[in-house]
Amino acid sequence: MFLFVIKYLKFLKIIPGAVLIFDSWLMLWTLISKPDILDHIDAIEKGVLGWNNTNSGLHKYGGLQLNYTIHELGHVHSNGLLDIPLSRKLKQKLLKEGRVQHHHTLVNTGWISFYIKTNEDKNYAIKLLELSYQSSLQRYKYHHP
Amino acid sequence: MINKIFSAANNGFIVPNGIAIIIIGITKYFTSFNNGTLIFSEFVIIPFLMGIISSWYWRNEGLSSKKLILQSIVNCLIAICLSMIFLKEGFICLLIVSPLLITFIVTGAFAGRAMFKRNNQELNVSIIALLLVVFVIDSTSEHHYQNMVADTVVINAPVNKVWKNVVAYKRIKVPGKFWLFRVGMPSPVESTAEGYYLGAKRKCVFSNGYVFDEKIVTYEENKNLTFDITDQPRDPEIMGHIDILRGQFLLKDNGDNTTTLIGNSWYKLYVFPTWYYDIWAKSITRNVHLRVMEHIKQLSENK
Repeated sequence: MFLFVIKYLKFLKIIPGAVLIFDSWLMLWTLISKPDILDHIDAIEKGVLGWNNTNSGLHKYGGLQLNYTIHELGHVHSNGLLDIPLSRKLKQKLLKEGRVQHHHTLVNTGWISFYIKTNEDKNYAIKLLELSYQSSLQRYKYHHP
Repeated sequence: MINKIFSAANNGFIVPNGIAIIIIGITKYFTSFNNGTLIFSEFVIIPFLMGIISSWYWRNEGLSSKKLILQSIVNCLIAICLSMIFLKEGFICLLIVSPLLITFIVTGAFAGRAMFKRNNQELNVSIIALLLVVFVIDSTSEHHYQNMVADTVVINAPVNKVWKNVVAYKRIKVPGKFWLFRVGMPSPVESTAEGYYLGAKRKCVFSNGYVFDEKIVTYEENKNLTFDITDQPRDPEIMGHIDILRGQFLLKDNGDNTTTLIGNSWYKLYVFPTWYYDIWAKSITRNVHLRVMEHIKQLSENK
């Protein structure tokens, strides 16, 4: 259902607030169908916010966005789909490990997608976000030596 | 004791609902020209604002996402109970409105959580101000919406036999299949006419005894029966939020001893946003049509 909406109804995102509403429905559906996912998302947020200079907010396409200062580390949609921007090299390495997928829409980029379902997935998601955090830190050090 | 009642946790329920009642009360007082119309802001902006206000009170409570959703649903249930008391809304109406309220209260709660986490007061004030501007513009604007629904049924009977049952039909004894009819929404059961001529008065009787008074305005035998609704019951249920203006049955002789029956209804909505309520209005009108048309089909096809 999520992928159907993203693929065929994405033009609706021009309506102010539409993505927030969609994410609320996703959240209500997750509460009914797989409530543990909401706890995993909370735990991921808590984990990431424990790192220096991180913050969270609403993602422009709905869901929770995690940032290092103003740079996005990744975002989690309320159905547990985590999207993270990485380098293409790192993405290829992770794809070989077989747990992550190409991003659900941005296939030919460094973005990856990962579905959080279990407690183990939650821990892996934090590891992936840590990779994104480390990349952001390195980029920051490169630009601010 | 008072401090316990008005704790931050409880204020997340009390204050948003209190503010919602006050805003709706003020809107009703100052916009009496709207003739009881319930506008977009009352179903979208106010619930969204309620969610934000709740989040303000719950910002230091450390609520998990699950708990925030559940508490927002409780807020929605409180709002529904208050609507029943203060706005005298009926069960069916509240059933219809509840998905809209839940959606916007939950959305507002999570938007509020994000707003207060960032603690950017300028941004927060801008968002609230924007919502108020939309509310005022919407409240002071005129609202008018009419639409029409058409349905078609093919009947295995000649047109003259169908025509008799179109003008007036005997009581429908089978219960309605549509889920809203099953949970108590009135459905059409009988239609009577004082005669088969232009200007004749018709009555459409509903299952709970409601009567819609009608007047035949087009009478073309075996072809077209159009009637205006001259009086309809004012009820706290859905009837107060939609006016059926005109009904029409068009008959087409298919030339093979069958008849195509087209039912048309024109209605006016008093509830907004129409992108939500028109879905319900169409669905309800369609099911009213189909109930009557299926009955006409059954009566006409009886040997």
